[in-house]
Amino acid sequence: MINKIFKTLLERLPENNRFERIWILAKTDFKKRYYGTSLGIVWAMINPLSQLVIYSLVFSVLFKNDIPNYTLYLFSGLILWMFFSESTKKGMHIFPSNLNLLENVRIKKYNILTAAMFSNLFTLAFNLVVFFIISIFFSLPYNINILYLPLILLNLIILVYGINLIVSVVYVYLRDFDHFWDIFIFGLFWANPIVYSEAFLYQNKIVLALNPVAGIIVNMHNSLIYGRSLDFPLLIWDFAYSIFIFVIGVVFFKHYSKKITEIL
Amino acid sequence: METQDIVISAKNVSKTFKIKDRNTNSIRSKVANIFNPNHTREIKALTDINFEVRRGEFFGIIGNNGSGKSTLLKILTSVYEPDKGGKISIEGNFQRLALGAGFDLEISARENIYLNGSLFGLSFKKIGGIFNSIIEFAELEEFADTKVKYFSSGMTSRLAFSIAVHVDADILFLDEFGGVGDLGFRRKSEQVFKESIVEGKTIVHVSHEIGTLKEYCDRVLWLERGECKMIGEANEVLDQYLASCNSQV
Repeated sequence: MINKIFKTLLERLPENNRFERIWILAKTDFKKRYYGTSLGIVWAMINPLSQLVIYSLVFSVLFKNDIPNYTLYLFSGLILWMFFSESTKKGMHIFPSNLNLLENVRIKKYNILTAAMFSNLFTLAFNLVVFFIISIFFSLPYNINILYLPLILLNLIILVYGINLIVSVVYVYLRDFDHFWDIFIFGLFWANPIVYSEAFLYQNKIVLALNPVAGIIVNMHNSLIYGRSLDFPLLIWDFAYSIFIFVIGVVFFKHYSKKITEIL
Repeated sequence: METQDIVISAKNVSKTFKIKDRNTNSIRSKVANIFNPNHTREIKALTDINFEVRRGEFFGIIGNNGSGKSTLLKILTSVYEPDKGGKISIEGNFQRLALGAGFDLEISARENIYLNGSLFGLSFKKIGGIFNSIIEFAELEEFADTKVKYFSSGMTSRLAFSIAVHVDADILFLDEFGGVGDLGFRRKSEQVFKESIVEGKTIVHVSHEIGTLKEYCDRVLWLERGECKMIGEANEVLDQYLASCNSQV
């Protein structure tokens, strides 16, 4: 019996190239985004860095603040925020821009979403490397709490994937949904402790409760900037929130994604 | 006819498209028309199509423009879902071949071969093994690392054909894929066609070109306005089709 199961597993293994498939889709997506432009991959870095320069000028010169290590505080928040906003914005257009694949090859639709996710993760990883390089020049109290970082990122990934499952389908039915989303993202930015101190959010806990990204950024600061343990109730709340959105996304996607190719 | 020899079977396949007269794919118009429900027209693209294709058969689908050929092919390749009650079953893996489709224009031929092969279900190792023969067969040795957008249409279709032949699909769906490339390449592809039939591969060819269908097909399905007008031995169906075309003129 066990032998048989093992054998069928083995037989299936070489046939199943799902990981390779997603890998090559992600690679293609990433390449198309950055290669062929004059600066290539550097663009992935210029975007957050330019925002970093502008915000740090405005919020440390124009408006004074007393956050220690403000530049890195800003940068770590911006990295996560850009991952969130870019991924969801791109996730919305994912099916129209991959129509060629949908129409010509037999491909599971969520594979395309997963591949785009990996492509975005490359960018995130790249930005994190830049962060760590910059942080050498500042005195950050790195300690064991940095090990929480993967957990925080996992939380964000679940959230983004769940949102993408929903918005990618909604966009096919409502073609001006992207304008709405742009405004929403623009507003949501200010509900996150990116440019201002998280003390403000702890005074207005409703924002922390409604906006899962804020809690993720708070804990990112805890782990990286302050080198202290996480706010665990907040972490659990954000995980629950993200998994809830993810589950809704899966159900929604299963139900509404079937006819996408016809509508496009 | 043994059942295990049937590789494609379509039962009661219908397809209805809902066409909206006004474009309401925006929030504004959805809200504006909330009390004025949109008039959707139903267009029957296919009505109750039934057929079976046996292993190793060269099956043709013919019909005028708008007869539902492409819709049927999209249902067969599971791009579209048939209406409720319709059932498609396909044994084995397949590859669809259409002019200039299926390639990512922004990446090179090499990357496209890997992408296509991988999506077909081959491992990178396997693709690496057939890579050279794909490029060689397509006569693109000098252009393996050129972006496909710089390819001529002949080069693209040669590449598509070459990939389809080499990934060793059980079933090939040809979408108006007649007369690829120049005479030399055409000879070569005809040779492959003949070999494929010997090897027991199944080929479904959708076309409105009678010539190629007549030469290769065993059986032909004739679609007219989404309905199966006739199905049977190739010459018979094609002669009838030709006659009906002539009588319309």
